[in-house]
Amino acid sequence: MNFALQPILAQKKAVAGLIIIVVLGLMALFAPVIAPGEPAARVGRSHQPPSVEHVMGTTKMGRDVYRQFVWGARTSLAVGFATGIAITILGTAIGLIAGYVGGRTDAVLDLVTNAVLVIPNLPLLILLASFAGTVGPMTIMVIIALTSWPWGARMTRAQTLALRNRDFVTASKMIGEPAWRIIFVEILPNLTPLVGINLVGSIIYALVAQTTLEYLGFGDPLKVSWGTMLYNAQNSSAIMVGAWWDIGAPAAGIALTGLGLALLNFTFDEIANPQLRSGPALTRWFRLTRARNRQLEARR
Amino acid sequence: MHISRRRLGVYAVALAFAIVMNFVLPRLMPGSPVDAMIAQLGPRATPAAIEAIKARFGAVDQPLLSQFVDYLKGLATLDLGVSVKYYPQTVTQVLGRSEIWTSFLVVTAIIFSLCVGVVLGAVAAWRRGGRFDTIVSPLAVIMIAIPPVIIALTTLFVFAVSLQWFPVGYAYDPNLDPAFNFTFIGSVFAHAILPVLTLSPYLIGEFQTTMRSSMISVLGEDYVTMGRAKGLSHRAVMFSYGARNAMLPVLTNLALMLGAVFGGSIVTEIVFNYPGLGLTLYTASITRDYPVIQGQLLLMTLATLGANLLVDIIYGLVDPRLREASE
Repeated sequence: MNFALQPILAQKKAVAGLIIIVVLGLMALFAPVIAPGEPAARVGRSHQPPSVEHVMGTTKMGRDVYRQFVWGARTSLAVGFATGIAITILGTAIGLIAGYVGGRTDAVLDLVTNAVLVIPNLPLLILLASFAGTVGPMTIMVIIALTSWPWGARMTRAQTLALRNRDFVTASKMIGEPAWRIIFVEILPNLTPLVGINLVGSIIYALVAQTTLEYLGFGDPLKVSWGTMLYNAQNSSAIMVGAWWDIGAPAAGIALTGLGLALLNFTFDEIANPQLRSGPALTRWFRLTRARNRQLEARR
Repeated sequence: MHISRRRLGVYAVALAFAIVMNFVLPRLMPGSPVDAMIAQLGPRATPAAIEAIKARFGAVDQPLLSQFVDYLKGLATLDLGVSVKYYPQTVTQVLGRSEIWTSFLVVTAIIFSLCVGVVLGAVAAWRRGGRFDTIVSPLAVIMIAIPPVIIALTTLFVFAVSLQWFPVGYAYDPNLDPAFNFTFIGSVFAHAILPVLTLSPYLIGEFQTTMRSSMISVLGEDYVTMGRAKGLSHRAVMFSYGARNAMLPVLTNLALMLGAVFGGSIVTEIVFNYPGLGLTLYTASITRDYPVIQGQLLLMTLATLGANLLVDIIYGLVDPRLREASE
């Protein structure tokens, strides 16, 4: 088994999370096979409850919810993951450079990082999106990435500061390695767990932000995604007429993705910070101390 | 007061960033927002209104710099421009009306979640590895990962539409006149329960996770061992020795999260048709009421900065080490 994956696979929570994400990913990938047909096509009457013919019912427009759900996963997951990766790259690079270079560069980058961090994200996103008009997934991605890198940058910077004076870094400097090589080849590999946390957290954040923006109607209504499904359902007052399947399907998709990622993140956190661990070993230790306490009580 | 110059610099840059964004964006936008807004005004487009919008959004023959100076002068006198949708009302009036409701929601949700999250996190850290911890702690991480939209829509459907336990929307029963009596206040509370419960899971999750990890490191400190050695009760050690000191990082987190709470409240207000800032922002974004959207960003940035500043001050008062460091 791959060495890097071992600590992850040792955790039940992580495996459960991984399975959820992989299944959803495969569903999105094989959308043409498991839900053939055009997701925007009108196939039945308006707001039909789930039946054999339409497993997840139909929308107000008479579209098949199951088909939209499967195809919507494509846009939602693709945008979520791509944005998450973009946020992570941006945050990690800025944090590494600020932490390693130090001096005035660090002062400026740190100032910008903290400043962007305190500006409320969603109002800023809404401002940007409303000036941009109705935007495609690509623009949503750029807008989210540009406003949400500071968390990762801050974490990475702190960790880089701790590493920059270690012996192996000094040694590389003495050999005359260029700065970019020290940053990305010497220091970056030591930050792997941190990058992992940052990545999963960013994907979660991107998913939340993307869903919210699309729900508010900033997404491209012609592009099927879980967020635009929610938007359409809301606009056809699906909840008020009791068409729970119309809202329930995309909501379940988003919630499941969030759940899977959260389970993964929990494990990453524990790998990076063993202090937080609550695994079997600790339980054993607690049981032992409890038994010992009881013995002491009895002796008294 | 001991706030470092560095922190003040950060706040200044954040505020400047929000202001510059507000100034630059409409001038960068392809197509003219001014025409769109004048069209939106329709029959209400008096020459005075058109003039006000033009001056604000740069459709005048003036160099950019003097436009910017005028813009800053306006901000300094709390003049955020006029609303396009509610013309002739000013942005300040429109925001002022809804701001109370958002503050009410956000503050209630924060206090509620702070109590729940801190206790859950403290207990989970105290019994680290126990059954409580293994169930409650992953739950907190999951709650952070679920978008507020989903929680809002689900609670609305289950508790308001299906079970009909709570009203489906608005801040109070529209048949009642706002008055300071029992019926009205009761109605306000009944209408706030679902929105507050929608905002809370994310907050509880964040507070609980921060509290747990901060508490775990505090419990390793010597003074905690000392407290135990003195034979103090578990509860005394947990709350007076552990939790009290572990609260500080939770405070910092609270200030930083305020932006996210505003985000959550925007969505919650839209779902529950709650007449706060979020709903105003939503209406503004649909009707392309740019002055209101901009005012909103400024107001929320100011609120977040204020909260951060407050936490910095409290921090300095509570933690003597910081005071030493800044002197």
